[in-house]
Amino acid sequence: MSAIQLKHLTKTFGDFTALKTMDLEIADGEFMALLGPSGCGKSTTMNMIAGMEEPTSGKILFGERDMAGVPMGRRGVGFVFQNYAIFTHMSVRQNLAYGPRMRGAAKAEVDRRVGAIAELLQLSPLLDRKADRLSVNILQRVAIGRSAIMEPAIFLLDEPLSNVDAAFRAVMRTELKQLQRQFRQTMVYVTHDQLEAMTMADRIAVMDHGVLQQVGTPLEVYNNPANVFVARFIGAPGMNLIKGRPAESDRGLVVDLGPLGVTPPLPDELATSLRGARSDVLYGFRPEQVALAQGGRGLAMSVTFVERIGARTIVHLGEGESAVKAVFENDVGLSIGQTATVAPMAASVRVFDAASGIAIRAD
Amino acid sequence: MNAVRGKPVSRDEGARLGFRLTLPAQILVLFISAFPLLMQLYISVTDWSPLSGLGWWNAWEMWNSFANYTDLVADTRFWSALKRTAIVMVVCVPAEFLLGLALATLFADDFPGKRIFYSILLMPMMVVPAVAGYMFFMLFQSGGPVNDILSAVTGTQVTIAWLSDPTLALIAVMIADIWQWTPLMFLILLAGLVGVPEDQIKAATLLGANPWQRFTTIVLPKMKTIIVIALAIRVIENFKIFDTLYIMTGGGPGVATETISVYIYKVTTQDLIWGYVAAIALAILIVLSIVAVFAMKRMARGRQVPA
Repeated sequence: MSAIQLKHLTKTFGDFTALKTMDLEIADGEFMALLGPSGCGKSTTMNMIAGMEEPTSGKILFGERDMAGVPMGRRGVGFVFQNYAIFTHMSVRQNLAYGPRMRGAAKAEVDRRVGAIAELLQLSPLLDRKADRLSVNILQRVAIGRSAIMEPAIFLLDEPLSNVDAAFRAVMRTELKQLQRQFRQTMVYVTHDQLEAMTMADRIAVMDHGVLQQVGTPLEVYNNPANVFVARFIGAPGMNLIKGRPAESDRGLVVDLGPLGVTPPLPDELATSLRGARSDVLYGFRPEQVALAQGGRGLAMSVTFVERIGARTIVHLGEGESAVKAVFENDVGLSIGQTATVAPMAASVRVFDAASGIAIRAD
Repeated sequence: MNAVRGKPVSRDEGARLGFRLTLPAQILVLFISAFPLLMQLYISVTDWSPLSGLGWWNAWEMWNSFANYTDLVADTRFWSALKRTAIVMVVCVPAEFLLGLALATLFADDFPGKRIFYSILLMPMMVVPAVAGYMFFMLFQSGGPVNDILSAVTGTQVTIAWLSDPTLALIAVMIADIWQWTPLMFLILLAGLVGVPEDQIKAATLLGANPWQRFTTIVLPKMKTIIVIALAIRVIENFKIFDTLYIMTGGGPGVATETISVYIYKVTTQDLIWGYVAAIALAILIVLSIVAVFAMKRMARGRQVPA
């Protein structure tokens, strides 16, 4: 077990910068998800931790130990590949035994360890099965077992669920989380699927275009996104953002949203931080945190589309340039063309600087 | 569907129609493969020769009750030609395999000038074997370039009579074969090598396997099928070694480089005992068929276990 520190980690491929001065600390035993769209640098980060790629600059520390120049076979890293990379020409037993065998462990010792890990992962009845005809959750267990038998300090998982069909992912997620609890290992999990990151990770590192955007617990990133990218990326649908300008009113500081009118007054703490800068802002709120206002204060917009997905209803609203989504627990009976007034819940309102996209935090 | 076609077509009827439609092609195939084989079998039990004045179909008049086959068993020239062919194969095929594998391993990674070297490396394979034969015939002359280079290296005048010494002639012939056919081995093995899943190799590395262990535990087992195919192709081709060799040595000096094909050629054109030739050819066909069946079995097994 070991903590990981990334210090000013940078990776360039020719002119292309895959990762830009990334600083990240992953605690011992933590489940950290690297989350971002494809090309955000998450896989590059993981490959550098594993030693498959050398950083252009910056440092990777395992505990206190600098990993520079340590070849990938010697890092004590377990790696679970996207497609598991199971040795298909071997049996499950041979797959599990591979690491110890290559390190020259005695046969009795190998058998003992394979037996123990197979017991733990409930693979014992499958040990003599050929590895090319296993179901995907068994493959996942073999892949994890094959790495776990080496007792690695760190487990790296590279989008292991991306080839699994949707229905089975929930099963796999649960199983993976349980395995992590069993092994209590530091795990770094790369994914573009926020649901996986939110459900399994202790903390999430959100990345985009090679830049670390925010690190926090799933609820932190969801509730208090550090910038517009995180706000839009996390949540399904993402946060609503409407352009506006702060304005003073007799009830306190509000945001003038142009044709949509003015918002209710901002909470005092937020207003205080906002009074300094009078540039354009983005007024943000979660689609899930709105109420339908009956002709009262709120954003009056016309319904452009309604998605009914059983448990929830997603209402798309538009007015001029602005578009907003609202999620309701039940069918609210709105249909296309109607006008609805939605009121964001005061506590859920977030404000971002329009130019930089950075969140303006309540002091 | 049925409405469009007019009436439903039963499975049997479909099969019958299919058979009728493919019949011409089947007859053609039969004439190409089965007919010559049967003709050969027929002639091989007679003393028929093109000089006998009989059409081959009348060869039964010269029926010799399997004497050709009993002769074959006692034919020391045949057996020594077979032994020589085996020696050439045992040396050439493994040499071509190992060289090809080493080159393929080298070419699996990138290095500067790879494309140019790749093209150069494939060139021997494109040379007409007869031309290659003349090339090596010239190279191995007493006053030829091979001796010149040896002289330059050793500093003394080397005048080895390569092609007139029984052992050296065989070696020269084998060198020519290895030169010409290593590229084919290389090409096939390279195709197999790049097909080995890269992440499994990475996984092995992460589990602590060194390059040699990765090669023996992942790469070679994954290439098993393609290795068997490559070896089978070369074993069969090498067994029939002729053009290059015949031009270099004509099977000589004496019979020192007389392989099975050269022997058959001589019996055919010089002795003209075609009944006997048919018997030899049939015996060899059986041997090669066994190799082919073995290779095909491997291929079928390989297909069930995808990489």
